[in-house]
Amino acid sequence: MSETPHKRAAFEAPARLAQPTPYDPGMPRPGATVAGALLVLLRAIGGIVVLVSLVLDWPEVLATLEGASDAGSLAAESGVLLTVALVSGGFFVVVDLVLALFIYLGRNWARVLVLIVSTISIVSAFVSWWAQGQQLTLDGSLTTLALDILVLLALSSRAAAAYARRTERR
Amino acid sequence: MSTRPHRRAYSIGIAFDWFFFVFAGVAAVWLAVLSAEESLRLGWWGIAGGIVFWALLAYLVLPRLHRILTTIYVPDYFIGRTRTSDGLLGDPVNLALRGDGDAIERALTAAGWTKADPVTLRSSWRIVASTLTRRSYGEAPVSPLFLFGRQQDFAYQQEVDGNPAQRHHVRFWRCPDGWLLPGGARVDWLAAGTFDTSVGLSLFTLQITHRIDADTDIERDHIVATLTRAHPEIRVDVLADFSTGYHSRNGGGDTIRTDGNLPIIDVTRVAA
Repeated sequence: MSETPHKRAAFEAPARLAQPTPYDPGMPRPGATVAGALLVLLRAIGGIVVLVSLVLDWPEVLATLEGASDAGSLAAESGVLLTVALVSGGFFVVVDLVLALFIYLGRNWARVLVLIVSTISIVSAFVSWWAQGQQLTLDGSLTTLALDILVLLALSSRAAAAYARRTERR
Repeated sequence: MSTRPHRRAYSIGIAFDWFFFVFAGVAAVWLAVLSAEESLRLGWWGIAGGIVFWALLAYLVLPRLHRILTTIYVPDYFIGRTRTSDGLLGDPVNLALRGDGDAIERALTAAGWTKADPVTLRSSWRIVASTLTRRSYGEAPVSPLFLFGRQQDFAYQQEVDGNPAQRHHVRFWRCPDGWLLPGGARVDWLAAGTFDTSVGLSLFTLQITHRIDADTDIERDHIVATLTRAHPEIRVDVLADFSTGYHSRNGGGDTIRTDGNLPIIDVTRVAA
C-alpha cells in the first residue's frame, strides 16, 4: 500500500533555528569563535584599564567615597579598600582571560557561561535604560553594553555553536 | 520522513542556543538604535558613528534578523533557487550536470575557467585590496550559497579584462544520492551561474557585494558554449521550461530574468 505524501506547510517551524549541530570533531575554528574570544579578551583588557586608573586616581576616588558616606574620614581603611577593590576586580579579569582561552579552544561550558552572563548584563542595562531613563553614553555604559551584545552575537551564531558542540554526538 | 527512526530533535542545550540566537538578534536591534542616537549627538564625530551604525546594521543586525525570519518563511525543499548564508533566496539554479566531480572540473579547466579560492581571511582581504586597486585576482573567492542545506562543493570563474569587479562565475552542488529533479529527471550535479557586473550594496542586508546581471540566461548559455567548444564529446539536453519564465530578485536584491530552460550537460565522456 502506497502512502500519500503529506502536504508540507508553506512555512517552516521556528524550531528549525535550533536544529542540532553536526558531529564534526575535525571542524576548522570558525571566525565567530575567534571573534567571541577576542571580544572577551577585550573585556578583560578593559577591566585592567579600569583597575589601573583606579590606582592612579585613588585619592580622588577616596574623597568621593568619603563625601558619599557619613562615616567621615576613610584614610585609616584606605589600604584595605584599595586591596579589596583590586582583588575583586582582578578576579573578574582573570575569569575573563580564562573564559576567552576556553572559548577559543571551543569548550561549550565557557561559551554558555559567557552567554548567560552577557544576557543578564544586557537585560539589566535595558531595564535601567527603559524604566529609570538612564543615559547610555559612549564614554560610559554604552561601550560595555556594545561589547556584551557583540559577544552575544558572535557566540550565539550557528558556526560558534557548531564548533563548541563539535564533539557532541546526538 | 515517517520511515526514519524517530530521534530526539532537541535537547536543553539546543533550546538554550535557540534562545540566545533570537535574544542576540533583538539585543542587536537595540544596540543599533542606541548607536544611531549616539551618533546624532556626536557632531562631526557622528560621521564615524554613522559608519559604525551601518556596519552593525549590515553585518550583524540584518543578517541575524533575516536568518530568524527566513528560517520560518522560506521553504527548505528544492525550489530551483539557492539560498545565501542569511537564508535569503540567492542565484537561480540554471544548469544540471551528469558525471562525476573530477570530470566536471577537468572540463571546466580545459574550457578556460579558474577554480575559486575558498573564503578565508587572507583571500577576503585580497579581494577587497584587488577591487580597490583594480588589480587582477583570477582565483578570487566567491561567496557561499546554499543548496540542499549545503555550501557549494566548488566554484569556477572567469575574470573579465582583469577587472575583479566583473566576472563570470558558476557554483556547483552534488545532488543527494537518488535525488530526482522535479519532473523525475536524474542528474548528479546542479549549478548556478551568474555574471557579476559591479560591486554595490545589497538591497536586503546593505552589505557590500557583487551586483549580478539580470539576464541569467546569457551566463548560462556562455557556460554551456565554452564547455561544448572545448569538449565536442559533451552532450547537452535541455529541459525546456523547467522553471517557467519568471522575474525575481536574488539575495542581493538584483533582478533576475530567465526563460526557464535547464540544460543538462553530460560530462561522462570527457576523458581523464
